[in-house]
Amino acid sequence: MTRRDMLWLVASAARAQQSTGMASRGLAPQPRGKPSGLPFHARFTDIAAQAGLREPVIYGPAARTDYILESMGCGVAFFDYDNDGWMDVFVLSGTRRDGPVAGATNRLYRNNRDGTFTDVTKESGLTRQDWACGVTIGDYNNDGFDDIFISQWGQNVLYRNNGNGTFTDVTLEAGLLHQGTRWGTGCTWVDYNRDGLLDLFVAHYVVFDFEKVPATGRNPKCNFMGVPVYCGPLSLQPERCLLYRNNGDGTFTDVTRSAGIDRAAPTFGLTAMAADYFGSGWPDIYVASDSTPSLLFRNQRDGSFLEQGLQLGVAVNEDGTEQSGMGLGLGDFDTDGELDLLKTHFSGDRAVLYRNIGRGGFEDVTLRAGLGVETRYVGWGAGIQDLDNDGLPDLFWATGAVYPEVEKVHPDYPYKTPRVLFRNLGNGRFEELVSEAGPAIAEGHCSRGVAFGDFDNDGDMDILIMNVNEPPSLLRNDVSGGGHWLKVRLVGTKSNRSAIGATVIATYGGRRQAQAVTAQSGYLSANDRRLHFGLGAVRSADLEIRWPSGLRESVKAISADRLIIVREGEGVVKVESFTGARTGRS
Amino acid sequence: MRAVLAACVVLLLGTHGATAQPTARSDAASHVGKAVRLMQDRLFSEAAAEFEQALAGDPNNDVVRIQYATCLFAQERNDEARKQFEIERQKLGDRPGLNYYLGRLDLRANDFTSAIRRLAPLEKDPALSDVSLYLGVAYMSVGQQARALECLERAARNNPRDPQVHYRLGRVYSMAGRADDADREYKLYRDWQESQRLAEQDGRECKDALRNQLIAQARIVCQRIADPNDPRRLILLGQLYSENGAFPDAIEPLRQAVKLEPESFEAWNSLGLSLFWLKRYQEALPALRKAADLNPQFFSTLTMLASTLHALGDDAAALPVLERAHHLNPDDPRVASGLEQLRATLKGKR
Repeated sequence: MTRRDMLWLVASAARAQQSTGMASRGLAPQPRGKPSGLPFHARFTDIAAQAGLREPVIYGPAARTDYILESMGCGVAFFDYDNDGWMDVFVLSGTRRDGPVAGATNRLYRNNRDGTFTDVTKESGLTRQDWACGVTIGDYNNDGFDDIFISQWGQNVLYRNNGNGTFTDVTLEAGLLHQGTRWGTGCTWVDYNRDGLLDLFVAHYVVFDFEKVPATGRNPKCNFMGVPVYCGPLSLQPERCLLYRNNGDGTFTDVTRSAGIDRAAPTFGLTAMAADYFGSGWPDIYVASDSTPSLLFRNQRDGSFLEQGLQLGVAVNEDGTEQSGMGLGLGDFDTDGELDLLKTHFSGDRAVLYRNIGRGGFEDVTLRAGLGVETRYVGWGAGIQDLDNDGLPDLFWATGAVYPEVEKVHPDYPYKTPRVLFRNLGNGRFEELVSEAGPAIAEGHCSRGVAFGDFDNDGDMDILIMNVNEPPSLLRNDVSGGGHWLKVRLVGTKSNRSAIGATVIATYGGRRQAQAVTAQSGYLSANDRRLHFGLGAVRSADLEIRWPSGLRESVKAISADRLIIVREGEGVVKVESFTGARTGRS
Repeated sequence: MRAVLAACVVLLLGTHGATAQPTARSDAASHVGKAVRLMQDRLFSEAAAEFEQALAGDPNNDVVRIQYATCLFAQERNDEARKQFEIERQKLGDRPGLNYYLGRLDLRANDFTSAIRRLAPLEKDPALSDVSLYLGVAYMSVGQQARALECLERAARNNPRDPQVHYRLGRVYSMAGRADDADREYKLYRDWQESQRLAEQDGRECKDALRNQLIAQARIVCQRIADPNDPRRLILLGQLYSENGAFPDAIEPLRQAVKLEPESFEAWNSLGLSLFWLKRYQEALPALRKAADLNPQFFSTLTMLASTLHALGDDAAALPVLERAHHLNPDDPRVASGLEQLRATLKGKR
């Protein structure tokens, strides 16, 4: 071997090292601590099929995904469209690019009050097959019946509830048709100017056109774990949000510019959630944004908003890193009387938990709270809800991957994944449960939208979940352990009739728990608007109600285990005791 | 993660010579070699497994245990990392590098008082330039806003291009009601975030151009990365040229980078490597020596340095360097063969 040979031999070893592949930047789950061993009294069983929710939710091709539009799925809603006191179910639907799919439609299921539902889509006038995305429920014309707004790729749709079991598409008359094709996602009713009329906020995801976006496999840059996949949002243009003011005569006016909404940088907006986050008496709007900073539009009390997500600590995580915001939950996990936020993200990242610290905004307490143990799944619809009635709100989110092609090559990256449930330990920390919370938690599905509500009126929170190209899941919660609870339904008089934007603070057993009446949360979904407070061993609670009109009202010593209906300015106007669906309404 | 590796290098420099011992068994050395390479590729889980096996054969090797602990830290296996760092602290005492990691583990465990106690004395250590950031976070968490501000302002001076520092500082200003200061920091945060994003995008496009276009055309694309005042961009540009064989183009940005950031291992290493492949051995030698000083555990730097010394006819100096490389990666047949040749040459000379 010559001197030259040896030189290049050795040097080539160094060069070989230089060209070694890069490691994944994904965050691995943190190790789990020792289980608390505490019993968990909620048990979830998926009873969708036996309850009559059997039709699959069509969303793109069954076993592959060619475009991002086909992967994002849609929302679901619990709402009482016929005012009979029982939660009905509304499930959005997509379609397929190669043509309409027989039977695919948004579906309304009427609650039969016996644990089952009847599909009333056709008679209600809600049959529609489009690329529906988000849903927000609210009584925009204050006639006492909940109306439906649906955001879509294409044109959004407003359905007015006629009060007789039917709905009418009034999008055109309402002035809500927009120019061109847009991808509406997050949408929420919000009375931003406190005139007692619900206005409408709409977020958008990306500028999308089947003809202009390359399909899976057409762009070699678009791959995941080495597998060709559709091109994600970063290769597309984000779009700004819109705000429509309710004119009070059934029409709306686009006030995006005058309200300052268009001053915020465009993001890949998904779920939108309006609430009075800082107790100012005015609703703000938070938008979970994918791969871009999430937005918090702070109400300036003069008909305009200022985007302050960064200043208030909810745009990025505590390291200043942008996350892929999908779903949102709102609640008061530490029972300090302030509304906290939960936001879900892509796999390889943690869901973020923001604790409300008042005027300074929010602080990221994800790691302190113990959520770092779960990073395996793509997270979607989320909630901060007391699932076991112990007086401490728990965390839940649905999951599901976005690339069905990947698991064929990487079986350890499944398309259908379990639900995630973290039980609140009461010391600012959470513990992830799998087998302890019933069979429906560990079941794998490719899920998106999530709504929380008590469909069987038995005093606990059930969960409705949209599954891509499968029937929805209806997770019936059977709580044991004797924890008490209280439900509160608000009826606005000066405020909007749906009381959207109201905050209720329940005081019980030394705790102060805040909850807000929202019109969208989870992932592009709408919850049962009756607020549910688990009380644990405590048998009564005091309530402070902050109405959107600015009125503050107190009701004292409300006995547990019942629903109270509070009309603005009149206090408790009705009390209902629940005995559950099996024995009928009490 | 760059900070994790940099702090690990500092820690190892502190132990090198004083406590580093040759591994007891060759299989342990083999695991160490694999582990070091995996660690440099940021495959921390795999590296930890190799280090763990190396420790099984050589449990008293401080260097290996510290590297093992660092891999555990990088994976946020906090309790396991703490256990390993504590073993070394018992043996070696309160070394800055150990306290750096233990302080950050305290921070992760919400033990802010302990984090402050460990991190505060390290602020003046120039090699641990991000201590002020973590100390600031710890002070913020215990409500000592004034001290948090002091630390984070220092962190911003130490690492003015780190978006995280500006974000954290902005949050503290916000909480203190200093809206103007907060807005300034948020602007810096946004600017540096955007700068990093653009650099990544430009980097991807440059890489594509270097692979698919003629060099003259690729240069036009790649020049978008060049910013004479930003060492990160200059290093990226130099590395992209170097990795794609455009060595003459790599030299200038890397020379500018080492002027701006003279303690950058990546810059010195890439510069030395590019000069080597251009056969400019006299110029490559000081660059590779500096890189090897900054990171004595990097296999490819050591092999390049040995090769350069050999090319310049200094086989006696090349031998111990190549032996170190072989020690790190005893499985590499090219280095083993080269070492054999070198030893034979030196023996022949004697």
